[in-house]
Amino acid sequence: MDIAFIFVNAITVAAIYGLIAVAVSITWSSLGLINLAYGFIYSFAGYSAWLVATYVARQYLDPALHPFVIAATGILAGALGGILVCLVVFIPLHDKPAFTSRGMIATLAISLIGSQLLLMAFGPTAKSLPELFGRWRVKFMDITLTADKIGIVVCSALMLAVVVMWMRSSRRGLEIRAMMMNPHAASIVGIGIRRTGIYVMALTGAMAGLAAVLLSQTYFISPFSGLTPLIKGVSIALCGGLGSIQGAVIAAILLGLVEALTNKFMGGQYVLMTQFLFIILVLIVRPRGISGLLDKAREQ
Amino acid sequence: MNEVLKVEGLSAGYGPLRVIHDLDLVVNPGERVGIVGLNGHGKTTLFYAIAGLTGWQRGSILLTGKQIGRTRSQGPGRYTHQIVRQGLAIMPQGDEIFQGLTVEEHLDSGAFTPDAWRTRKERKERVLDIFEPLRKLMRMPVGRLSGGERRMVSIGRGLMTDAKLYLADEPSLGLAPKIGMAVMEALLAINLKDSAMLIAEQNVALLEGKVDRVIGMHAGKLKGEASSSFRLSGNR
Repeated sequence: MDIAFIFVNAITVAAIYGLIAVAVSITWSSLGLINLAYGFIYSFAGYSAWLVATYVARQYLDPALHPFVIAATGILAGALGGILVCLVVFIPLHDKPAFTSRGMIATLAISLIGSQLLLMAFGPTAKSLPELFGRWRVKFMDITLTADKIGIVVCSALMLAVVVMWMRSSRRGLEIRAMMMNPHAASIVGIGIRRTGIYVMALTGAMAGLAAVLLSQTYFISPFSGLTPLIKGVSIALCGGLGSIQGAVIAAILLGLVEALTNKFMGGQYVLMTQFLFIILVLIVRPRGISGLLDKAREQ
Repeated sequence: MNEVLKVEGLSAGYGPLRVIHDLDLVVNPGERVGIVGLNGHGKTTLFYAIAGLTGWQRGSILLTGKQIGRTRSQGPGRYTHQIVRQGLAIMPQGDEIFQGLTVEEHLDSGAFTPDAWRTRKERKERVLDIFEPLRKLMRMPVGRLSGGERRMVSIGRGLMTDAKLYLADEPSLGLAPKIGMAVMEALLAINLKDSAMLIAEQNVALLEGKVDRVIGMHAGKLKGEASSSFRLSGNR
């Protein structure tokens, strides 16, 4: 019973942070940008969803539609935030010297400025979204699965599947994958770095937006609520091997397990410590991350 | 006025290094021009400059009358995709390929104009007719192919659009002589119509008698020119 419970918790946590980790990974390998602005995109999407939920959905819409409208708002706002970061950071900076470090600093600045602006606009009081998945629960063997856990896992798995399918089958996806593998050759076949950048950032922003809506089922939305998911997302992406989608998923599950086990046996305050210890151990054994050899990913 | 490519006063290089010095070149429709020179004398840089991939460049480059060169000192590749879309097919030297994409996806990526994308099935068929060995490798990741097969993929990718100018950079480099010959044959078999082709090559014997003109390249400048009937001195 205990083990199954820990495992369910691990998967739920992994699903959310996995979304952000995959977003970080895709952005890094296709654009060479470590986007630290997901913290802002996350809060931005969360607040947008909250605005729509309180001021639009509650007054004008049928309650049955609420979950879809709120989730769609989060995704759209996330994509918008991603495009904003792309326009402000990626397009002006991408061909300048030392783009990697500059990009990191610029996105971090956006994250901090954006969070402060949200603080000015909405105040320090945390907001909460209505329950998206209802209150039902399922008994499976002798574990009780609550609606929000099932919903979170299903939604993020669905999002991930859609993203991977889109990357595999569409023309834009082909362009993004080509850029992930060889940016130089990509420009030779007429793939514009800046345009592809906008697609990539919109896509990954949408993933962060969905993560924000899903995590708001457990935590409150506050101006700085994006910080923890950002740190976890980036570290999971690092642990999995930057640039690899499989790696990020595997690392998310492992780190989710570490988090759940720590919560169970040591207490929530030790979670970040054990997670980072685990990441350090992984990177000592495999300096390029879990899937550093599975995938040919960008190295600089 | 109807030259395919007209280069005037082109200089290009990387950082403090100047590789190409005030180079002039005219290529007419239907022409196959061989550019011959040793390693490090600027053949690849000339191609990269035409595509806007060098660190900096100045001078005029007219592709079918449209200016694609300009003085620029920004990072390489900023305008490459726009230049390429005006009708440039680059078949780069070495491994400028996407390791994890399959041969088929690779060929698809070459069909970047809307028209080529719509007709990509027929175009792939046409490429496969030229490079028969690729037919059974369509689902294989390119990273696992041999050097000759990769070169076929990279040339085939260049053939997926209707370019006005084909740039083939050392198509036989690093290949076994027989395969290199076959690749070169395929390049020469392409029906150019009113487009043109530039082939950079170190092995003059491969070009001998098969291209319309051969131009020597030395130390970043074009030197000497021979017409199609040229023969290597002392050879047979």
